[in-house]
Amino acid sequence: MTEQTSSATPMIKATAVNKHFGDLHVLKDINFEVPRGQVVVVLGPSGSGKSTLCRAINRLEPIDSGTIEVDGQPLPAEGRALAQLRADVGMVFQSFNLFAHKTILDNITLAPMKVRKQDKATARKTAMELLERVGIANQANKYPAQLSGGQQQRAAIARALAMKPKVMMFDEPTSALDPEMVQEVLDVMTTLAREGMTMFVVTHEMGFARKAANRVMFMADGEIVEDTTPDDFFTNPKSARAKDFLGKILTH
Amino acid sequence: MSQQASVLYDAPGPRAKQRNAIYTVLFVAALALAAWWFISELDARNQLEAESWTPLLEAGVWTDFFIPGLLNTLQAAFLSILIALPIGALLGIARLSEHAWIRWPAAVWVEFFRATPVLILMLFSRELYRMAGVDSEILPLYAVVTGLVLYNGSVLAEVVRAGILSLPRGQSEAADALGMRRSQVMTSVLLPQAVTAMLPAIVSQLVVIVKDTAIGGAVVRFEEVIAQLRPLPTSDYRPSVIATLTAIAIIFIILNFILTAFANWLERWLRRRKKGTGAVVTTDMVEEQAPGVRLEDTEADVAGRKDDG
Amino acid sequence: MFDFLDKPLYAEYGGILGAFWVTIQLTFFSAIGSLIWGTVLAAMRVGPVPIMRWFATAYVNIVRNVPLTVIIVGSSVVLADQLLWTLGGSDTREISFRLAVLGFTLYTSCFVCESLRSGINTVPIGQAEAARALGLTFFQVLRIVVLPQAFRSVVAPLASVLIALTKNTTVTAAIAGIEAAALMAAMIERESDKVLLVFGIFAVGFVILTLPMGMFLGWVAKKVSVKR
Ligand SMILES: Nc1ncnc2c1ncn2[C@@H]1O[C@H](COP(=O)(O)OP(=O)(O)O)[C@@H](O)[C@H]1O
Ligand SMILES: [Mg+2]
Repeated sequence: MTEQTSSATPMIKATAVNKHFGDLHVLKDINFEVPRGQVVVVLGPSGSGKSTLCRAINRLEPIDSGTIEVDGQPLPAEGRALAQLRADVGMVFQSFNLFAHKTILDNITLAPMKVRKQDKATARKTAMELLERVGIANQANKYPAQLSGGQQQRAAIARALAMKPKVMMFDEPTSALDPEMVQEVLDVMTTLAREGMTMFVVTHEMGFARKAANRVMFMADGEIVEDTTPDDFFTNPKSARAKDFLGKILTH
Repeated sequence: MSQQASVLYDAPGPRAKQRNAIYTVLFVAALALAAWWFISELDARNQLEAESWTPLLEAGVWTDFFIPGLLNTLQAAFLSILIALPIGALLGIARLSEHAWIRWPAAVWVEFFRATPVLILMLFSRELYRMAGVDSEILPLYAVVTGLVLYNGSVLAEVVRAGILSLPRGQSEAADALGMRRSQVMTSVLLPQAVTAMLPAIVSQLVVIVKDTAIGGAVVRFEEVIAQLRPLPTSDYRPSVIATLTAIAIIFIILNFILTAFANWLERWLRRRKKGTGAVVTTDMVEEQAPGVRLEDTEADVAGRKDDG
Repeated sequence: MFDFLDKPLYAEYGGILGAFWVTIQLTFFSAIGSLIWGTVLAAMRVGPVPIMRWFATAYVNIVRNVPLTVIIVGSSVVLADQLLWTLGGSDTREISFRLAVLGFTLYTSCFVCESLRSGINTVPIGQAEAARALGLTFFQVLRIVVLPQAFRSVVAPLASVLIALTKNTTVTAAIAGIEAAALMAAMIERESDKVLLVFGIFAVGFVILTLPMGMFLGWVAKKVSVKR
């Protein structure tokens, strides 16, 4: 465990967050902190609000009440301030969402050049290093549609990392992948965790949770039901909903 | 859903909401101003007086003018689609033939009649029928239907072709594997499925046809709905020209709304249905089918295409 | 074979070429107008202001269901005959031309709007979200991610709209004798021994106007389309 001193500002802090979709109460009084350098895995049955929570942290979903702070700053509601904050929060989606009309290299250099105002040479150099790191440097000049799912997801991770984010959010990054491609993406994520990146990861990959996470949050019906260490959660779940959930995913 | 994000917009924050509220007020004011100006323009020419409009409420206006016109419109439209469908199916299949000597003439025919305006086709066929001695009573109907069939046969040919191409390739491969001949594959496997996939597109093509019958009314004296604009204002009833035209427009709008709603319902129903491949030629944009443009190349047009069955 | 063309009536049109030139002008000005009004409608339709979305949706759904003939005849008998609008034209020929352009613009802009809207909707929302999550601003997302992709899938439908407009200008014949279709109507009644020739001339004229444009734009559309 790489626990920080309690005086340091947490990287993410959510206080009394509520959100509705019409009549559906998807986030119910959510409170948590993610200290700098910590890797949090979020688990829970489908529809429990994990994606919504993840997306709320960079305001892709606005919330109804409560506050969210990133690195001590309250989340701005709109405009340039919001864009600036988002630049510091890397996000990886289930469906990759690479820009279909741009090459992999251009996907990665785009935001550093447009948002961070890096010059082209620097952006390219960083991009190639990142692609090297995620193991797809040889694909740099291809278009997203020409890559396998695993390669696309690794490119998407490189794209987010190119912004030198303070924290990385992952929303089920391996759920859309063929089984044989899951590991290559998890390997990249595990390395990232080892290097000390603050990570907020929605995933059902138990192996990753055990190996790389400092902490597991279990969500059900819009609430955080358990918030503990991976060991404790997997060996000794306290709530009935967590036991039920673990029973379903561990037996198959 | 003003609260939700779209491809273009983030979910609005407080400043964006305020800005949207201002736009709303300005836009409503602009609309009201435009409406007020147009109404005063009508009023200045005495177009708002009751006697210009109330004749429309009399039954005779409908039984003597609009309903017969509407029936003629529907008759021409249904005749046209019924005749155009088999022609379109033949041409569509011909364009997929393995033999160049079938494919090419069909392609030339289709592209020629997609490129030629319907109005010109109607004028031409009217002269041909006149020379052939067709009775002048029935001449306009013949001209209108012939013009519409020539054009829509070609449009439907492309729909049929796109429909067949929209079927999963596995369908025709499976049939080939069973040792069926190509013509058998076409008639017993591909065509029935393609026609089902095309149904919504066919119904929405009816909207185009219904609208095009009005060309006949204005140009070859076909007695459909808009043709009533000539006799009606001078008949016993005397609604004003503006009132008559408004009624004509509303008749078409309602008729086409019904057809469009039916086409959309059909499309949803076909997509939901478990049976079949789920391939559907969508109703969007079929109207604006252009010569030289392949339907399957326009992303909006063919949905549900898959590589395997 | 072509000496039948030397009649004073046909000369009013400037002959066949003159009549087709008017067709081209009608198409050109209506296309400009439709592109402008259609873009405004599309902007309202995909925009964040509900009342504008509602207005543009209602406009498109109503106007596209009215026959073009009704709109063109309406612009003539309502705007010109009853409301005495001239749109700045000085003689009947000029007034008819401008009314026709107005009518075509009102009608065709519906299809321009729908093409643009469907083009924008072909861009997956996930890509826009990814761009926002990287810190791109509204205009950057629009300029770098949405419009370049929307533009590519809009070429083919807009080409179809332009070609349909070219053919639709023939409906002008319902209100005035200024362009190709009206000249053909006049000729085909008078030259009953040359019906096929007259038809052939005008049909080929329209094929020349529309088919190469359609094939070229169809080719462009295929070339620029985004692989997904
Ligand atoms: N844009 C939306 N509009 C309405 N309901 C939504 C929307 N997004 C998600 N939901 C609903 O909110 C609930 C939580 O969704 P989500 O956060 O995606 O769950 P999870 O990621 O845990 O599967 C689900 O019931 C889902 O149907
Ligand atoms: Mg989810």
